[in-house]
Amino acid sequence: MRDHLGEFEQIVLLAIARLGDGAYGVPIRREIEVRTRRYVTVGALYRTLDRLEEKAFVSSRFGDPIPERGGRAKRYFRVGPLGIKALRRTERELAAMWQGVDLEKVRHAR
Amino acid sequence: MRDRLPRLIAWLLCRRPEILGDLAEERAGGRSRAWLWRQFASTFFPRRPRFPRETRFLTPFANDLCYAVRILLNNPGFAAVAILAVAVGVGVNAGIFMILNGAALKTLPAPASDSLVSIYQEIRGKTTRNSHGSETLVATSEYERYRDQNHVFAALAAYEPFLEVTLGGDQPQQLFGQLTSCNFFDVLAEPPALGRSFVAADCAPGNGAVAVIGDTLWRVRFAADPQIVGKKILLNRQLLTIVGVAPPRFTGSEVVAASVWVPLTMQKLLEPPLDFSHGDWSWLALLGRMKPGISLNQVRADLGVIAARIDLTDPGRATRLDVSIASYLGRPEERRAIKTVGALVFTAVGLVLLIACANVANLLLARATGRRREIAIRISVGATRWRLVRQLLTESLLIAVLGGLAGTMIAISTFQSCAYFILSHLPRGAPQLTFDVSPDWRVLAYSVGLTVITGVVFGLAPALRASRRDVNSSLNSGGGFLRQVLVGLQVAISSILLVAAGLLLHGLWVTQRIDPGFEMNHVATISLNLRGQGYNIEQASAFQRQLRERLESLPGVTGAAQAHVTPLEESHNRSMFLAPGSTQELLIERNQVSPEFFSVLGIPIVRGRNFTEAETRGSVKVAIVTESTGRRLWPGEDPLGKTLRDADERAEREVIGVAKDAQVSSIGHSDTLYVYLPVSPDGQRQMQWMVRYGGTYAPAAAALRRAVHSIDPALLITVAPLEDNLELRRLLSRISSALAGSLGILALLLASTGIYAVVAFTVSRRVREIGIRIALGAERRAVVTMILRQAVKPIAIGAALGIGGCAAVSKILSSMLFGVSEYDPAAFLGVTLLIACVALAACYVPARRAVKVDPMVALRCE
Repeated sequence: MRDHLGEFEQIVLLAIARLGDGAYGVPIRREIEVRTRRYVTVGALYRTLDRLEEKAFVSSRFGDPIPERGGRAKRYFRVGPLGIKALRRTERELAAMWQGVDLEKVRHAR
Repeated sequence: MRDRLPRLIAWLLCRRPEILGDLAEERAGGRSRAWLWRQFASTFFPRRPRFPRETRFLTPFANDLCYAVRILLNNPGFAAVAILAVAVGVGVNAGIFMILNGAALKTLPAPASDSLVSIYQEIRGKTTRNSHGSETLVATSEYERYRDQNHVFAALAAYEPFLEVTLGGDQPQQLFGQLTSCNFFDVLAEPPALGRSFVAADCAPGNGAVAVIGDTLWRVRFAADPQIVGKKILLNRQLLTIVGVAPPRFTGSEVVAASVWVPLTMQKLLEPPLDFSHGDWSWLALLGRMKPGISLNQVRADLGVIAARIDLTDPGRATRLDVSIASYLGRPEERRAIKTVGALVFTAVGLVLLIACANVANLLLARATGRRREIAIRISVGATRWRLVRQLLTESLLIAVLGGLAGTMIAISTFQSCAYFILSHLPRGAPQLTFDVSPDWRVLAYSVGLTVITGVVFGLAPALRASRRDVNSSLNSGGGFLRQVLVGLQVAISSILLVAAGLLLHGLWVTQRIDPGFEMNHVATISLNLRGQGYNIEQASAFQRQLRERLESLPGVTGAAQAHVTPLEESHNRSMFLAPGSTQELLIERNQVSPEFFSVLGIPIVRGRNFTEAETRGSVKVAIVTESTGRRLWPGEDPLGKTLRDADERAEREVIGVAKDAQVSSIGHSDTLYVYLPVSPDGQRQMQWMVRYGGTYAPAAAALRRAVHSIDPALLITVAPLEDNLELRRLLSRISSALAGSLGILALLLASTGIYAVVAFTVSRRVREIGIRIALGAERRAVVTMILRQAVKPIAIGAALGIGGCAAVSKILSSMLFGVSEYDPAAFLGVTLLIACVALAACYVPARRAVKVDPMVALRCE
């Protein structure tokens, strides 16, 4: 299945969705770290972003060069229509899987 | 705005400005540099690298590599020590190779130089030949036959490699040049930058009074005059027309940089009275430009036929041709010397690399014990041995590559400047040399090859050990024996290197303090070349007579003597002498000296008498021999009154005196066959002066220069202390002992860190045991002694083996360099002592630290 979303891909997509217009590398990484308490390296983040863009789940554009970034531009990301579709489907799939699962019971059954 | 990113990161990630921007922003927000580097590493070495479909087969190797990078980043201390050791080992090797490459491996710096071939002859069998410079050069007639009869060259050029001329004018100047055939520049494909090169008409008999000058000479001496072509210059007082200026940076086809080129036809006029064009004079080096599609073997076969034809005309002669792609120092005798010296030096640097390998192997062994858990888990979940070895070898190769890279960079930056330093500090009067030691593909290939071999050498044994399937055996032995062998090896090798260094240093000391058997201090030499400056015999005699008066009247001068060759000058005149009554002709070194020679140099005449003033006017044939020459020629008889037949002069000379032996010919040898002849009026054009002066050198030298220039203000002379004749030899001693000394110290440093690491590691694994011993009442000192005793065994065995190896080394060295003795107790004892001290210190520090631990802490530690 080509448009299947990995777990980290979901997280990244959701982070972009949360940030709206201000979604570029630094806040995306911070959003994930703050919310999930996971340590995310820049390398891992951009590898995922590149992959998502390749699958057309996100689109990106460069902003204006900024002095405090050594004169380099920010690359802003947006979740595209395909990305929204994929997120929806994943949400549905997960919800379907969660239905009727009681973790307490699962543990006792062992 | 200042960029706050490290330049390397900015450069490597230049195609990802958004990532760089993020990093810069985070850095501005207060992140540390270390954080930056970690993030940077994460972009290059993902946890699970992915490849596009076509290169997917690389994935497992990339996995290994990324894992190896992580392992190293997690153990920065270990990584730094290992990488540094490899860097040192590979660095010295790459550096030495770079110098060898520049001196003798690179092809000539000319266009398409891989089709340029040099040809030399080695003639065996019964032939008598004269040679100018080297016996492997060819004669004019031979050159013509090779040139006209070959089928493999587009053109074949010949040149005389060693032409020394005096450039006349207001300020005379000594130049090195080459006499060349008229196709020389065409064969080298170096068209002149200005004017023309030689044409066939220049080489017709009677023509050839033309010259091409070098770029530097043109700029320095002629101020880059664009109208230079057509102007005249004086070379050895011959008037030549400048027809061209060589292209910039072209310095001829020899290591000695030439700055003027003249057609071969001028030889007799520039180098009178010698005439090389007739007879069997070896004087030409050959350079051929191969036709396209011709191989070196075809050249050998084709020229071999011509050589065989030449052999037929001269019964008993057997010619072996030496044909190779042209490079500097390509003559067979030069190649042989380079091979011998190179073998010795490469053995030494190879040994340093071996120590470095042993060192890293030891570190890896120690670490493998620490990683037993990880390896056991990998085995239990089904990793094959091949898989484990591959992983571990990737790690060691990564260390090797990083170390090799660092080492090569260090070598490139330091050895190049070292080489230039040495080249620019050659002794006075030495010609300018043109080595290009800059790195090329050969240096890179050498470094890469060495790096890979290094990685496998130090990685394989630990990897094979660590990946053993029976976990128990590796748990028990822990590689102790292998580690001890490695320590022993390091000690043995470093003691060999250190003894070599000690011997050379001692040799240097001896050279500095040598007593040559004559008085060197307070003697200045005046070298002049009256022949080169165009004096005829009468003018020369008058000049020398006048100069003698001026010199002797100088205040402080107590004696002035003439000699054809000053003592220990690198110049020897030998000719065949026959002692009547004996049938055996002997090759004896000869020197023409004035009567004052013996008093100025303090060489006593032990029997008979000195030359008289009358004998220096040339009619009376007399000679003074040295004591040992007398003993060799007339054993048990009195040499006085005997006669010597001079094969060159075809005249008999009566021995009138016997001089005490002295090392006038070569240092360390006072028993050279040597005969003094009185100066002759014909020889006045080639006489040098030796002046004994009082006081300090500088004012005396200035006075000498003034005395010469008061007679001929334009005369080119060199004034130097007589001791400078030893300079070249001392320079060799200094370079070789500096090289050996630094290698020895590097080796010792590497070995001692190796010993330290091993002892520290063994001790750390015995902390519990030591704790128990101390808790049970063992004295700390006794425990330290115990640890030392166990550590010392491999060191002692290694040192003993090393000293044995040194005996062999000293034999080789003593045969190659003057002043190095074969059995030098000071060097051997000193080195043994040094190694013992350093090794003990390296053991003692960790042992001491181990027993200082509180027994309770030690017991709890696991």
